[in-house]
Amino acid sequence: MLRRHVILLSSIAALSLAAPDLALAATPKDQLVIAMDTSSLRGLDPNEINQLEAAEIVANLYERLVVLPADNISKPQPGLAESWTISPDGKTFTFKVRSGVKFHSGNPLTAKDVEWSLRRLVKLGLAPSTDLRQWGFTADNVEKLIRATDGSTVVVETPEVWNSNLILYSLASFSTSILDSKFLADKDKGGDMGREFLQTADAGSGPYTLRTWRVNELIIADAFKDYWQGEPKMRRVLLRHIPESSAQRLQIDAGDADVATRLSSTDLGALETGGKVTIQKTPGFGFYYLALNQKDEILSKPKVREAFRYLIDYDGLAGTVMKYYGIKQQTIVPAGLPGAIDKNPYKLDIEKAKQLLTEAGYPNGFSKVYYATPVTPEYEVAQSLQANAAKAGIKLDLQGGDHIGKFRNRQFEIFSARSGDRLPDPHAVLQSYATNANNTDEAKLVGLNAWRTAWDVPKDIQQMVTAAAHETDQSKRVGLYTKINEAYLASSPALVTSFLRTDAKAVRNEVKGYIGHSTWLTRWDTVNKGN
Amino acid sequence: MSISQTIETRRAGSRKLLSAGRKLATSLAVIATTLLGLLIITFVVGRMIPADPVIAVVGDQADQSTYDRVYKEMGLDRPIYVQFGSYLADIARLDFGQSHVTKNQVASDLARVFPATLELATLATIIGAGFGVPLGILSAVRKGTWVDHLARIVGLLGHSTPIFWIGTTVILIFYANLGAIPAGGRIDIYNEGLVEGPTNSLIIDSLLAGEWDVFWSALHHVIAPALILGYAAMAYLSRMSRSFMLEQLRQEYILTARAKGLGTRPIIWRHAFRNIRVQLLTVVALAYCGLLDGTVLIETVFSWPGLGQYLTSALFFADMNAVLGSVLLIGIISIAINLLSDIVYRFIDPRTR
Repeated sequence: MLRRHVILLSSIAALSLAAPDLALAATPKDQLVIAMDTSSLRGLDPNEINQLEAAEIVANLYERLVVLPADNISKPQPGLAESWTISPDGKTFTFKVRSGVKFHSGNPLTAKDVEWSLRRLVKLGLAPSTDLRQWGFTADNVEKLIRATDGSTVVVETPEVWNSNLILYSLASFSTSILDSKFLADKDKGGDMGREFLQTADAGSGPYTLRTWRVNELIIADAFKDYWQGEPKMRRVLLRHIPESSAQRLQIDAGDADVATRLSSTDLGALETGGKVTIQKTPGFGFYYLALNQKDEILSKPKVREAFRYLIDYDGLAGTVMKYYGIKQQTIVPAGLPGAIDKNPYKLDIEKAKQLLTEAGYPNGFSKVYYATPVTPEYEVAQSLQANAAKAGIKLDLQGGDHIGKFRNRQFEIFSARSGDRLPDPHAVLQSYATNANNTDEAKLVGLNAWRTAWDVPKDIQQMVTAAAHETDQSKRVGLYTKINEAYLASSPALVTSFLRTDAKAVRNEVKGYIGHSTWLTRWDTVNKGN
Repeated sequence: MSISQTIETRRAGSRKLLSAGRKLATSLAVIATTLLGLLIITFVVGRMIPADPVIAVVGDQADQSTYDRVYKEMGLDRPIYVQFGSYLADIARLDFGQSHVTKNQVASDLARVFPATLELATLATIIGAGFGVPLGILSAVRKGTWVDHLARIVGLLGHSTPIFWIGTTVILIFYANLGAIPAGGRIDIYNEGLVEGPTNSLIIDSLLAGEWDVFWSALHHVIAPALILGYAAMAYLSRMSRSFMLEQLRQEYILTARAKGLGTRPIIWRHAFRNIRVQLLTVVALAYCGLLDGTVLIETVFSWPGLGQYLTSALFFADMNAVLGSVLLIGIISIAINLLSDIVYRFIDPRTR
């Protein structure tokens, strides 16, 4: 009986294992396979999404007026707008919309589509609408301020004068993608402007069209044959949901995936040593930060804040867990942007921290609850700080979990995480870290890290940040940002930055042209495999 | 038959019918109470977990007005009992709501992910029972011999080794080194979209459609995770079978049968085995239920898009409609399997009628 069972079941197993031609040694030359953790993907509406993974997909299904090239991120280039002019007062942007561009539906792209799409972003008012709302656009004024004046001209007026780059960068963001208004007209449900439809479909003009999306399983995008810049070389892009880092590593190593996007430090290191893949470290515009709640009597003392800066093992972490995830940076303007300075004066120094604590009146240290997200590398960074703090007499009760809600509502003592700003301009980071117009609980400026930390940012820093955003002279701006950077460093901030965020991806050596984009808009139409 | 006898017969028939009706009503009440309890506990626990469902949707950088608007859109501004009542009313209309993460109707998500788990769990149960039961019986019959020791070691290993570790090791050896199995997923990505069938089970749908490449690909993908899960089930079932059989072999009727000169095979299969069938069915049903709702680790390791992964992801992002829908489905399936095993008991053991 048992023998019969063994033979029968073993035969089925052997037969299935011996099935022909199923384990391919390499992906086809005209298809790109990306291993991705898609569990955080929530729909594909460009006016609603807010995740890195979704942004990459939307970047290829849709296009925008302005393009920021991956290799020259701060130089706006024409996209769907073939040209633009800016009025002398700096408030009116006139865009000439490119002719001959078709949506995936076959409809021609016109200025009306641009007008409808930008207004839709503001009117829906979802998370990414900040990209336009922060410049003063509201549901009430957007009809007046963003308008198509003819079939190929769109005028965008800003209520105030802002540096023109800020507006152009915003118009290059995934959120300002241009949608097919004619196609979406009959998809409206209860005035949602096609929001429900766009969760699982696309209405864009980008180089790829969405073919299949099976949540937490697979996304397939096909090349758009009528793409105005020519049909992409990769006939199809397949994004496979692989949540496990080790599984991604094995698949890219075996050639079953071309790109792996969610890998642990250990797996990245092993792949780099293997030589079959290149590890891309794309610098972002966010930071790994430590937030010290200023409503707490002890943490609000500048010397205590300063002590924490000596408790982070910058060099030790940089060579280990942060090797692929960040670049050591203690200043606030991200490296590569105007006003950035190469200055990292702090290093791990327990004795110095102890001395500062004594001067602050806490020679025996204190105890605090410390919230950190239990993911790599944030948790390892938190554990390192906890260990160093203990040596200085500070007992940190490290609690992992999703505490971002508590951080937003100022219900924490110490919190650490990483931020992910998208505009390639110092203002994006500074607005969140160094402005807090009203530090009262009632103000509820929950979008700002400074408010969340209850940090009453020195007024001179706040004034400089505001002035720099409105400054139209680029050289004056650079000067202002350099000053802000120095002032922030000297202010013993309640938001301590330690590493500039980088996003690491593994790319097979035969894959060319897949270039990680700092504003999350990595393109697939530039990819080839030597064909 | 006299009139009084006829009346008595009819009365007896009515009593039986009434009794059957009462039993059915009691069973339905128990099922409804169980499912309601399950939903209440899940709903309350779901509200206690620290993840904020609104932030999961709008992102942590959203301003307060956006947060407040989405908070209302999700119905979270209402008292919890109103939310729960409204959810129950929707369920009564077979509307499980929309998943905040996938943006699909939960019912359509479940229709897609559950067949994947069902396929895997069914195959694993067949493997587990197919190997485990005979192994347990053999081990009991040959108690104390090397066969028994081997079976117990195999069972112990299956019971004590973490399943994700086995999964990762199998992938490392058979995928990365030998190239004998695929790394994960339900099907080779280049066969995607060739079969869209009525059952959402790729093995069955490809067979129905006569798509042999897809069939082989689906079978090739399912066999490794099914064997691993089957091994875990086998470990449990072999131990239980051994224990049941040992108990029977100690009974006096076995001694009598042996004294009468009956051969070992008829004693084992015709007498002892018949008496452990109900117990075996119970443990196989339990193992099957366990596999249907507990395959999350293997689903993660093998990127298997099943119910376990769906539920975990929903929990992580506080997607309560998806969590409640999944829990309800698991509850219904568990109850259905238990009911089915109750019915089968009646066929195989007249004493349970």
